[in-house]
Amino acid sequence: MSGRHVALAAPAAVALALAAYPAVASGYGVRATLQVFMWIVLAGSWNLISGLTGYVSFGHVAFFGAGAYAGAILMSKAGWPWLAAALVGGVAAVVLALVIGYPCLRLKGPYFAIAMLGLNEVLRALVSYFEGLTGGGNGLSLPTLDATIPIYYVMGLTAVTVIALTYLIITSRFGLRLMTIREDEVAAEAMGIDTARHKLYAFLLSAVGPGIAGALTARDQGYIEPISVFPLATTITMIVMVLFGGKGTVWGPVLGAVVLFVTQEVVWARYPYVHPLLFGAIIVAVVLLMPRGVLGILQIRYRLPRTI
Amino acid sequence: MLGQVVISGILSGALYAMVALGLALIFGVMRIINVAHGPLLMLGAYTTYFLSTVLDVNPYLTVPVSMAVLFAVGVVLERTLVFRVVDAPELSSLLLTFGVSIALVNLAQLLFTSDLRSVEYLTGAWVVGPFALSKTRVVAFVFAGTLTGLAFLLLGWTKLGKAIRATSQSREVAMVCGIDVQRIHLVTFGLASALAAAGGALIAVIVAIQPEMGQTWTFKSFLVIVLGGAGNYPGALLGGILLGLIEQVASLFLTTQLSEVVAYVLLVAILLVRPTGLLGGRQT
Repeated sequence: MSGRHVALAAPAAVALALAAYPAVASGYGVRATLQVFMWIVLAGSWNLISGLTGYVSFGHVAFFGAGAYAGAILMSKAGWPWLAAALVGGVAAVVLALVIGYPCLRLKGPYFAIAMLGLNEVLRALVSYFEGLTGGGNGLSLPTLDATIPIYYVMGLTAVTVIALTYLIITSRFGLRLMTIREDEVAAEAMGIDTARHKLYAFLLSAVGPGIAGALTARDQGYIEPISVFPLATTITMIVMVLFGGKGTVWGPVLGAVVLFVTQEVVWARYPYVHPLLFGAIIVAVVLLMPRGVLGILQIRYRLPRTI
Repeated sequence: MLGQVVISGILSGALYAMVALGLALIFGVMRIINVAHGPLLMLGAYTTYFLSTVLDVNPYLTVPVSMAVLFAVGVVLERTLVFRVVDAPELSSLLLTFGVSIALVNLAQLLFTSDLRSVEYLTGAWVVGPFALSKTRVVAFVFAGTLTGLAFLLLGWTKLGKAIRATSQSREVAMVCGIDVQRIHLVTFGLASALAAAGGALIAVIVAIQPEMGQTWTFKSFLVIVLGGAGNYPGALLGGILLGLIEQVASLFLTTQLSEVVAYVLLVAILLVRPTGLLGGRQT
């Protein structure tokens, strides 16, 4: 088999195995894998904006939370089926991204990063203010429904979509333009690239996945509150996953999500206070010592194609 | 009522201006937005808290100590980590200082716990005519005004200040003129951290502190810079006072929850309408 066949066959085999997994797995196994899917969606989406264009989003969890609240309100107050509500969750996240991205991404420099840093707190405040709709600090309960297995498949499908989307973008002219912006924005402009529009498109695409994942997670857990869907820790985790795996690559976020999730479950769950501290240290270490992440290093050492 | 609002706005605005001046200095000189600026302020607040509660020192006497301690922390931070990303793409410096800020906040949670802590000193208010002036805020205003004034004296009238302004205008030319740019970066980072520490020390006497207090300050300091125009140091003063006034006016009409949103809406609106700030772009 040639390399190209392996590159296609291996992910297909893994996908098939994961599709068959709920039939044999324990409840814990399905839940844990569902979580891995969620992290792949989140990390992969962060990679679309920050890994490809170099514009750092410090508040990506805001889209997760926005999707969770939009979906949960539709499910609990309007009685929508969860699948439709999840899609609307994605749409809500995109609308939010448009509102923030349009003013902030027209500018070069740190404006976007800092605006995203504040977004989370703002959404939390808004959720508390519109108490009638969101339940405020008391949270929002959804009608009981055991849908973990269907949600497993939808979340898995979302993860596959994010990975495929990343591959399509990286191999397209659109992706090349995004990476040109990352490497040298002035040069990109000089070449005639409408940088503001390209950055905005990448940002909108990066908001869909977290929005859907947020609504799905809300349905699966049956209850959401501001603290549970807007934690800064989630943004930090996404960033660490992508940086560790390799930003700007297709499989880097996947690698990061799987490795970090497993480590977190096995080791760090026992030391809840040390691990956020460690995350800060990991970010610093990766930025200084291996800015390309694990996959980036492998790409250079073994001359792998950049579509890995 | 309006007079009271204006006075409160100016009182808290001076504090914003001082803290934001630190962030503006780092941005002007090193072209880096230091996301850890707020967490450094938090460390300054804890320094004052422990000195004044454990050693029983007058909290206002601890302000210079907090500034000295954080100057040292800033210098160490610059020399070990930040100088490595000065010329790197923006992504690197943002992520690096973000990583530092997470580490600092969580270290503080580990060491000091998340409990709210407050320094009890000078409670109550002075009543002047129809206005009630919170004592701690008035003292903070005097401190912030003095320290900001000293910082501008340093920038405007000393050789070091001239070197800082030169580096901020053009690093290459400054280097050619014989300025040790590395040293200027180091001193600037230290000074900026000291300004943040002074802010933290004064805040600790006004409100209860906790490890996560810093993040908002990074955001608000940045907003002040945007209001005044990035790289424009006097602009930071105007921006600070403006933010103070706007927040106070907003708190008149809105609930506390929504008044937190005001600063954010303001940032997005300014970036939409006048991205170079109210006073215009760089002029140092």
